[in-house]
Amino acid sequence: MQISSLLQEQAVLIPLNTADKQTSIEAMVDALAAGGSVTDRDAYLQAILAREQTGSTGIGFGFAIPHGKSAGVSRAALAFAKFARPVDWDSLDGNPVQAAFMIAVPAEAAGNEHLQILIALSRKLIHEEFREQLLQVQNAEQLTDLLETI
Amino acid sequence: MKKIIAVTACPTGVAHTYLAAESLLKTAKEKRIEIKVETRGAVGVENELTEQDIAEAHAVIVAADTDVLESRFAGKPVVRVPVAQAIKNPAGLLEEALSMKAAEESDYIKQVEQTKAERGKARSGPYKHLMTGVSHMLPLVVAGGLLIAISFMFGIHAFEQQGTLPAAFMSIGSGAAFALMVPVLSGFIAFSIAEKPGLAPGLIGGMLASQNGAGFLGGIAAGFLAGYVTKWLKTYIKLPKNFEGLKPILILPLLASGIVGLAMIYVIGEPVKWLMDALTQWLQTLGSANAALLGLLLGAMMAFDMGGPINKAAYTFSVGLLASHVYGPMAAVMAAGMTPPLGLWLATLIARNKFTAEEREAGKSAAVLGISFITEGAIPFAASDPLRVIPSIVAGSAVTGALSMLFGATLQAPHGGIFVLPIPHVVGHLGLYALSIAAGTVVTALLLKMFKKNVNA
Repeated sequence: MQISSLLQEQAVLIPLNTADKQTSIEAMVDALAAGGSVTDRDAYLQAILAREQTGSTGIGFGFAIPHGKSAGVSRAALAFAKFARPVDWDSLDGNPVQAAFMIAVPAEAAGNEHLQILIALSRKLIHEEFREQLLQVQNAEQLTDLLETI
Repeated sequence: MKKIIAVTACPTGVAHTYLAAESLLKTAKEKRIEIKVETRGAVGVENELTEQDIAEAHAVIVAADTDVLESRFAGKPVVRVPVAQAIKNPAGLLEEALSMKAAEESDYIKQVEQTKAERGKARSGPYKHLMTGVSHMLPLVVAGGLLIAISFMFGIHAFEQQGTLPAAFMSIGSGAAFALMVPVLSGFIAFSIAEKPGLAPGLIGGMLASQNGAGFLGGIAAGFLAGYVTKWLKTYIKLPKNFEGLKPILILPLLASGIVGLAMIYVIGEPVKWLMDALTQWLQTLGSANAALLGLLLGAMMAFDMGGPINKAAYTFSVGLLASHVYGPMAAVMAAGMTPPLGLWLATLIARNKFTAEEREAGKSAAVLGISFITEGAIPFAASDPLRVIPSIVAGSAVTGALSMLFGATLQAPHGGIFVLPIPHVVGHLGLYALSIAAGTVVTALLLKMFKKNVNA
């Protein structure tokens, strides 16, 4: 799978030193904007926050997957953050979050291929083994290697 | 083993839908529960649940924050939760689904009714129009056939004495009710096509078909002609606004009835009458080999799609022939329509290990539907195992149809299942008729016992 086309090096934040959910999300959005896949930072941020409003994306087990579909996204992209200190995310199981994937999807989700990758990633997160491997990752290169195995 | 089916969906459709699906799959695998999960996300519907999946399922888990077409699951126990619940507590959900009680008997009948209703809605085009006509004609056939039978109760020639009660019953049944059959068939075919303005020309065309002996085939032709002519006139006749009001009340009835009537008399009537006469003649002088063959064919058609278009074609053919006083095919068709659910019921008794507990329970309902001549009662069984069930019921119904025709059984009522059998004179050769129903039921049950695989309860 072409996970590298979705995940750019500047969107891998290891570690990310933030205090709360809001600043964590903003930091990840900024990282995606810096990589060029998010062209309208504010519009995309709104989409992400609106999604969180309908229910937390903290899926439990110390992971969160904030995601948003917005015209402010030019191409599907992924960001990853491993938090220096666990962040409270109103998770389903109430536990703070140790790491997060942020998913950006363009308004017109052309190219199912990219969506399929993101979907495969979501599915993978249910598996404990994969989550443990993710938490071991130290840099962008290792992360890419791990994701290529999906 | 109990099988669970699930649907997951969320508004964005990239994350939670799939997290929930994976979570259910993973937990089910750990617990060795058979599961199929449909996902409705941004890439569309994947792993879509088939009719067969739904029929086989013990219970349904709906973990969704959006619409998932839940009406599909009517009659099945459903555990309904927000999508997040499936991520948070998949084990609990699966437990809950497994502990749900299987569909109850009344649910089974509901399920069958729903299938019938859905099929009714899904009908379209000429088939829908024909069925509209047939369904309006049926009450006349029921009333007519049974009243004629009542007349016969006074003695088979009693009605020939004018002014007697049997004569009165005969004139209600044959003189009025049967005489209206073809016009009403034709009228409501046209009504279905062209709405209200179609009714009059349809009735008139049907009446002409009936009078000149073109029978139900003429009636069907008249109905479609009247419907499409009226619809065409309605669309293409343009009047000044002041006169527009005259169109439905004067212009359309006059023109459409005139065109249809003349066509029936000068063009369509004669050839269709000839065809109808030939058909009636052939059916009345049918040798036993041909009779059995016709019964075989009609019987197989009744079971093949259990109330679908092929079944309705055989049924309409036979009901239409009642108007021409040909009663053999009607008998064959009703008998053959009763055996599929009856055969399944018998199979659940003699081959218990081939059916799940729910199916054995459903077998009782199928028996009730069978004796009531509701062939659709076989659908839930057929849906869960079509390749084994359909050939078995087709074979049984074909045997029943062939025997019924071979024995020369006749039936004057178009419906009613076993409930019309005790009424004297409704059925000719009652004992042999019952035998042919029993034979097909046994054939179906034995074939099912042979073909169906054991289920691990």
